[in-house]
Amino acid sequence: MTTSDPTAGPTTADPTRPAPRARRLRRPKGLTAHIILMAAVLLSVFPFVWTIVMATNTTQDIYKSPPKFTFGSHLLENIRHVLNTIDFFGSMLNTVIVATVTTVLVLFIDSLAAFTFAKFDFPGRKVLFGTLLLFMMLPLQLAILPQFILMSNIGWVGMLKALVPPALANAFGIFWLRQYIENGVPDELLDAARIDGAGFFRQYWNIALPMIRPALSFLAIYAFVGAWNDYVWPLIVLTNPDHVTLQVELAQLNVGHTTDYSMVMAGVLMASLPLVLVFAIFARGFIAGATEGAVQGT
Amino acid sequence: MTSPPVTGPAAVPEHRGGPGPARFRPRRATPAGTTARPRRRGLLSYWRQYLAISPFYLIFAAFSFFPVFYSLYLAFQRWDGLGDMQFVGLQQFRFLWSDPVFWLSIRNTLVIWVLSTVPTLLGALVLATLLHSVRRFKGFYRIALYVPNVTSIVAVAIFFGAVFSNNFGLVNAILGTVGISPVPWLSNPWLIKVVISLLMTWMWTGYNMIIYLAGLQAIPTSIYEAAKMDGAGPVRTFFQITVPIMRPIILFTVIISTINGLQSFSEPQVLFANNAANANLGGPGQAGLTTLLYFYQSAFLNNDYGYGAAIVWAFFLLIIVLVAVNWRITQRGRKP
Amino acid sequence: MDLSRRGFLQAAALTAAASGLTVACGGSGSGGTKNGKNLTLWYWGGALSDKVVAEAKTHFSGSVKLTAASIGGDFKQKLTTTLAAGGSSVPDITGIKGEDIASFLPNASRFLDLNDLGFKKLSSQYLGWKTKLAQTSDGKQIGFPIDIGPTALFYREDLFAKAGVATDPAKVAALVTTWDDYFTLGTELQKKNPGTFLVNNIGSVFDMTVGQGTQRFIDKNNHFIGDQDHIRAAWTTSVRPYTLGLDAKINDNSWNAAVGKNLLTELGAAWHALDIEQAAPQTKGKWRVCAMPVGPANQGGSYLALPKQCRNPEEAFKIISWILSPANDARGFTDAAIFPAAPAAYTMPAMTGPDAFFGGQKIIEVFGPAAKAVPDSYEAPADAAVMAPYKTELTNIEAKGKKPDDAWKDAVSQAKQIARRQGVN
Repeated sequence: MTTSDPTAGPTTADPTRPAPRARRLRRPKGLTAHIILMAAVLLSVFPFVWTIVMATNTTQDIYKSPPKFTFGSHLLENIRHVLNTIDFFGSMLNTVIVATVTTVLVLFIDSLAAFTFAKFDFPGRKVLFGTLLLFMMLPLQLAILPQFILMSNIGWVGMLKALVPPALANAFGIFWLRQYIENGVPDELLDAARIDGAGFFRQYWNIALPMIRPALSFLAIYAFVGAWNDYVWPLIVLTNPDHVTLQVELAQLNVGHTTDYSMVMAGVLMASLPLVLVFAIFARGFIAGATEGAVQGT
Repeated sequence: MTSPPVTGPAAVPEHRGGPGPARFRPRRATPAGTTARPRRRGLLSYWRQYLAISPFYLIFAAFSFFPVFYSLYLAFQRWDGLGDMQFVGLQQFRFLWSDPVFWLSIRNTLVIWVLSTVPTLLGALVLATLLHSVRRFKGFYRIALYVPNVTSIVAVAIFFGAVFSNNFGLVNAILGTVGISPVPWLSNPWLIKVVISLLMTWMWTGYNMIIYLAGLQAIPTSIYEAAKMDGAGPVRTFFQITVPIMRPIILFTVIISTINGLQSFSEPQVLFANNAANANLGGPGQAGLTTLLYFYQSAFLNNDYGYGAAIVWAFFLLIIVLVAVNWRITQRGRKP
Repeated sequence: MDLSRRGFLQAAALTAAASGLTVACGGSGSGGTKNGKNLTLWYWGGALSDKVVAEAKTHFSGSVKLTAASIGGDFKQKLTTTLAAGGSSVPDITGIKGEDIASFLPNASRFLDLNDLGFKKLSSQYLGWKTKLAQTSDGKQIGFPIDIGPTALFYREDLFAKAGVATDPAKVAALVTTWDDYFTLGTELQKKNPGTFLVNNIGSVFDMTVGQGTQRFIDKNNHFIGDQDHIRAAWTTSVRPYTLGLDAKINDNSWNAAVGKNLLTELGAAWHALDIEQAAPQTKGKWRVCAMPVGPANQGGSYLALPKQCRNPEEAFKIISWILSPANDARGFTDAAIFPAAPAAYTMPAMTGPDAFFGGQKIIEVFGPAAKAVPDSYEAPADAAVMAPYKTELTNIEAKGKKPDDAWKDAVSQAKQIARRQGVN
């Protein structure tokens, strides 16, 4: 493989696969790196900690100057307020359903198209791919109103399924996977498979898909998080209050002058934590996959 | 980004021009114009390929292509969303030309884009390099640094609003303990942009770091070993080896960040949601009014859908011009 | 370019069909029977008393099944898109915010004329100026008034006492009959209470001074009048507290934190009492209300309307006139601080009691007369959009220190442009 396009992380058989870099380990430079990395970790984790501080105190504690810096004992009370104000669990269930369906469909549709673009030639290929790139730059908000009219015409307004199709029309996945497949799936392998009589779809299913699993994991996280956190479109299309998603409910907490901040923060915490926890548990494999080749830290 | 390298054993000559309709794209073969190019035969013989990309393109046609062109049609109308449309020709664009708020929103968007993209990508590259160099806690770092990206913009914007609040925010409280008087984070026009940019930087640095890390790990260590033997220090190695090799992947992140950065919308919207009055969209002095937020305000709050569509289309054309200029410059810089 | 919207909708449906999506019931065809049994009501949190709505459900359960939905997000935007799309997702009864009602008037044909359903007979029970704001120039009534927002001056009795000025509502009102009096008093109060401010921001003063007049930014002949003396005067008055150093310049989320701390007064509508109470519960008993300088204005206050698609207009009208009857309207005040648009409610026990947050003051004695004295003004459909640049420029004065005269010029030129865009001449 050439090295000119490093997006193809997981080359299959790289003879120059790194030997363990033991020598680097004991040098003081490693310490500097750790210090900088730890500082970055603190910055990225701090907001979660501070959210917990605010969620466990009362609004009055937050408004004090200086505010209370320590954890308080009002978490349950704030959570109760959240549960009384919005339909937290119902909207969370809706969000889980939508995000799961969207992710599965995105993975299938995008990988199939990306595989085709990366490995086959057919009339119109360049034009089709070019359109895709061009449209990636178009603001999605541009489409909101016509999309709404469209949804209304097919009778999907207010229904959860209305959230799925616009999320599928996102070109990033194809862009990212095509890049990966081009270099990560060797032409020889496909060629060999074809000599063995494997058709187009078997080449996709049996050869390409297993090889791009790491890239798929990354796209899965990306798509799932995107669907989970989508805000503007659900806000508009979900007119039926029995079918709203978590973000819409969450934004409901933060309107008007009369903000009960500790309650809002408890809501923010409750809405973010599940995703963060699920991510933290499963991400080890996922991210390790996306950046395959890493020497696993112990 | 797909310039084919000249080396590589992957070309499969025996299949060039072969009878099979579903042919390999000989991407490492000779340039176009030779036998490598599939002859135009019946489109039907490519049905598998078309079938494979059709789900995406059909959805794409219905939910991107059609809506986008419908909005182009809207840009030539005056429409309040309910009543009859009225064709007004280029009038909306003429209004746009002389609308100071539109130009202000463009400036805001560009400033926020620069203030967020530059630190995000630089930070991500540095962190990825450091992470690549260490052995311990790698998994932990990766997850801890990526975690900001799995939070929602709504949640993060609410959080930043609380922390940077002029009167009760944590940041000002900390500054207060060392005797610095409160900084008007959410009312000074520049600081508003800084806060929005910080928010975006916080969310996207880890994400870009992971992408860079993927690239770094594909670089054979032998190259680094050779550099070390030549006596190159870490900084020189970084600039003379890592950055050039990573060029395509950096370009990729620049494109993605540009698209995301120029479309900032939810951040200022949620950050200033408390000032629900029309006038304050985008915060005091409209300093956080991005172009997309202005579009939203015009279309959905002022019921001026034609003008809203004109705003986005003008902005889109502007981006195209920017990208084209950018492209020309980088292409020229590439040639010796 | 004579493509109709219908044509585009058909194109949309075709595209959708092509993409293999199930094309279910088309958008248009709900016509026909108008005695549907399932009615939906859209409102937003705090627009109606939830208790009254719940009772309405059981009260009318014999004839229809009423489903009430509290809609989140930007209500106007949701209603507009839903009405534009048509079809069965359009609610049978919907709330419309007071600040949005004018922008729906040009599309009055999307709503039923309540006069046809019997509103004429009831209209005398509601404040005339409020009813008129939901009326087209040819007399169609699209909105049934829910509540109003008569404004008054909220003030901190304890801080007034500390400064040695009168604290009794009637006496304070007598002290501040003009805006100049009010600002003079503010300077005096600030001297005795260092670090405090008279107003939270000057945009809120502008809301009041504009609202006190009978003319706003566009006149009945659809002419832009935002550069005339009445607006200029309102502007000049609003800038005074800024030049006098009485302005707290709060334009972010820190109002909540400030209101219990360093604000001497608040200019606000009746419903604003609840905001203060929730933001600063520790100041209970320290606030009072009195008449605003010059006279009352109105801020907010909503309507109920019946979209054209309403499946059972007669029943729906019965429901809204029941929910908004003076007696039920008065309960809205107790439950959700909704100030009724029906004056008969002002003498009902639900409203005449003392309010502990205001130190036992009977605040209806201030708001009742204010409600009746709100000037009868004309609000054009584009009014809210045209007003926006004035408020933005006022914020620019506060945030950037922009010169008030420059800000005025920019505000007027931008307002003129928006007016032109919106078809005002």
